Amino acid sequence: MIKIENISFDHCIKCTVCTMYCPVSQATHLFPGPKASGPDAERLRIKNPELVDSSLKFCTNCKRCEIACPSDVKIAELIQNAKWNYLKIHWFRPRDFFMSRTDLVGGIATLFSGIVNFIIGLSIVRIFMHLFLKIPFRTVFPKYEKTTFRRIFKKELRWSQSEYSKKVIYFHGCYVNYNNNSLGRDFVKVMNALGYGVEMKKEKCCGVPLIANGYIEKAKKNAVYNIASLQKGGGDSKIVATSSSCTFALKNEYSSFLELDNSGIADRIEFVTRFIYNEFLSGNIPKMKPLGIRAAYHSPCHLERMGGVMYTLGILKKIPGLELVVLNSECCGIAGTYGFKNENYDISQSVGKSLFNLIDKAVPEFVITDCETCKMQIEMNTKYKVLHPVTAIAMALDIK
Amino acid sequence: MIYDCLIIGGGLAGLTCGIRCASNGLHTAIISGGMNSLHFSSGSIDIAGYNTKGEIIKKPFDYLKTMIKENSAHPYAKTGIPGVRESLNFITGKFMEEGINLNHNNDMNHFHVTTLGTLKPTFLSQESVFNTDVADIANSHNKIAILNFKGFRDYYPEQTAANLKKNSMFKDKEIILGDISLPYYLNTEKNLHEFRSIDLARIFETERYLPRIAEEIKKASGGASIVSLPAFIGIRNYKTIRSKLQEMTGKFIYEIPSLPPSILGLRLDNALKNSFINLGGEYIAGERVVSGSIKNNQVEFVTTRNSGNIPVQSKFYVLTTGSFFSGGLAAGFDNISEPLFGLKVKGENKRSKWYNSNFFDRKSHPFLGFGVETDSKFNPVSGSGKTIKNLFCAGSVLSGYNPVSEGSGGGVAVSTAFKCAERIIKEIKND
Repeated sequence: MIKIENISFDHCIKCTVCTMYCPVSQATHLFPGPKASGPDAERLRIKNPELVDSSLKFCTNCKRCEIACPSDVKIAELIQNAKWNYLKIHWFRPRDFFMSRTDLVGGIATLFSGIVNFIIGLSIVRIFMHLFLKIPFRTVFPKYEKTTFRRIFKKELRWSQSEYSKKVIYFHGCYVNYNNNSLGRDFVKVMNALGYGVEMKKEKCCGVPLIANGYIEKAKKNAVYNIASLQKGGGDSKIVATSSSCTFALKNEYSSFLELDNSGIADRIEFVTRFIYNEFLSGNIPKMKPLGIRAAYHSPCHLERMGGVMYTLGILKKIPGLELVVLNSECCGIAGTYGFKNENYDISQSVGKSLFNLIDKAVPEFVITDCETCKMQIEMNTKYKVLHPVTAIAMALDIK
Repeated sequence: MIYDCLIIGGGLAGLTCGIRCASNGLHTAIISGGMNSLHFSSGSIDIAGYNTKGEIIKKPFDYLKTMIKENSAHPYAKTGIPGVRESLNFITGKFMEEGINLNHNNDMNHFHVTTLGTLKPTFLSQESVFNTDVADIANSHNKIAILNFKGFRDYYPEQTAANLKKNSMFKDKEIILGDISLPYYLNTEKNLHEFRSIDLARIFETERYLPRIAEEIKKASGGASIVSLPAFIGIRNYKTIRSKLQEMTGKFIYEIPSLPPSILGLRLDNALKNSFINLGGEYIAGERVVSGSIKNNQVEFVTTRNSGNIPVQSKFYVLTTGSFFSGGLAAGFDNISEPLFGLKVKGENKRSKWYNSNFFDRKSHPFLGFGVETDSKFNPVSGSGKTIKNLFCAGSVLSGYNPVSEGSGGGVAVSTAFKCAERIIKEIKND
């Protein structure tokens, strides 16, 4: 049945501008583009859901079509809905199962991080993964940390947090917890410098990789858990996240895609750069020393869709001694777990190529971006180390 | 963290204004809700194509005097004729820096061939659409070929030819129609149901198939030395592709603007965005300004769809939101309004007076002349009748001119935006 709130496809005037900006249809003709897959096909799907094109699986959900659309059609949302609500998965796929359970896998891997990092780095293991799990041989997996950020926080950081009169609740996400503890530390450092103590609630994976791999029910379970956990206590404190995709899920997709009630937390959720921007705007700017580095900034697709790039640029421009080259907006091609799959590898590389070229042309010392999977993709394909904006601020705070 | 200049709308006007502000060191941002109308445009820039009787203007700069005399509320009356000239020089210079040459015909209008095969007067065109050689070559050759890519559904060469034949310039010419094709490509690639100009432009862009395409062109053009293709011969490297194809075929190749999405327009858009970003401007795509707050005859802040509790602030604001299609103007059942600030709008409220009954009326339609009313400095007037000093308006959101009947859309966008930027730069420097 047609849902009355979901008829934005009717505003499509068939101008095809979305397809012009679709990085996937640029990389492959196997994907007919957002217009054909979204608003065009939607008319047919309403009549018969079976009329769904198998090419939908090529969509990375980068949402660049929605950014491009002059008529405000929710193209990516239409495609996501069609992909997972009609295209039921009937078989068990170990790769997708494990890839989407970032918290389960991360929890186990950090316990044996030395061994795990060693094993997944071995060529023979990577050949095995390429052949049997269909994970591209050339993938470099992010290293697992020796411990989780939660344990570090409990042991070292928690004690000093009550010294601050104001507080924020930190949604660290799986990446900080299992793969990049230092970003979590940087976050706490920056919040403390702004006069905020950090508190953490129990959390599960936000659900982004689950949604991307078609585990909608499991994503809903996680979302329900997170909404309840984040809602408990905390008063009006902002819930701040350092991952742009986690933020988008918590704030938007829980209601718009998973159809859950997140109204109790949606207004309190902030992406970290927006939170800091607001503090800077009110004059709360900590003392930073000149960094003396040249960095290229890449804007992640989902942050663009959230309208968040202006805040990141706003705070980066406040860091003294940071020479910033803002790269033209291009998709990096990884799209979460998408680029970690054999069948998508070539497309993902082809999409990212223009960005890699832009980075090389900018000749930076570092690349700065807000998203962890963009970071992985850029580090895999260029020689540059990628920093989070929060890390850049933390670096400027550290200089003596 | 407050911008010097915040531009609402990222089209030709917004980008022109942004580039000028940013190149003067102003902290400038453009908020653009969806891609701009360059994507639907011919990729040529008009100044004045027709007079009030619908006759074609040969020398647009001469005609501007008459235009201003007949209509003192015209945006050109506010920019002044030297202002129009200066702004066009500025923007062609910027295009040149980005590798796009915009040609004019010794300061006169030239014609470009439309998809339908009519001839449209315009002032600046990319060299693949117009260059000064084309007239000589056309005069010295009697055969022209109009080609299409087989299966491309947005272009019908038969129609172009039939209409061209009605024109005295082409009456005696032999027009050869033909298709080019890439069987290899068509066999291996799927999903050709979405076979639009952008798909073809990307095939050309790879340069991989050029020798094959050159063979096809030679075969299909039947000895004609002038060959037209719909505008899809590449996006960023169209110049190289065109010269390679000309070299391989020994023929003069030009492009005919096609239906949207417009590749000619996309090239201009890419160039302007590049220029703006390289100058340090912030182009915020996919965000929409939803309202503006006016206090003491000043814009206090604007809110966007995602700005929530953090309004966006700037010293100066420029409204380049365009006309009805892009939402710069809104039509209710019996009223016309400017939705963001509730500015005073010039137009008819009575619906029956919005349009002429003939769709292709030479006088176009009255609604295209509706828009925001401004003073001579392009400052608009609020709903309560007070001039807003830190807000400027440029491009097709303005009233006082009809871009379609005059053939003046591009020129007004560029010159008014340029003028707004000039005022803002001056005021900031005086501060």
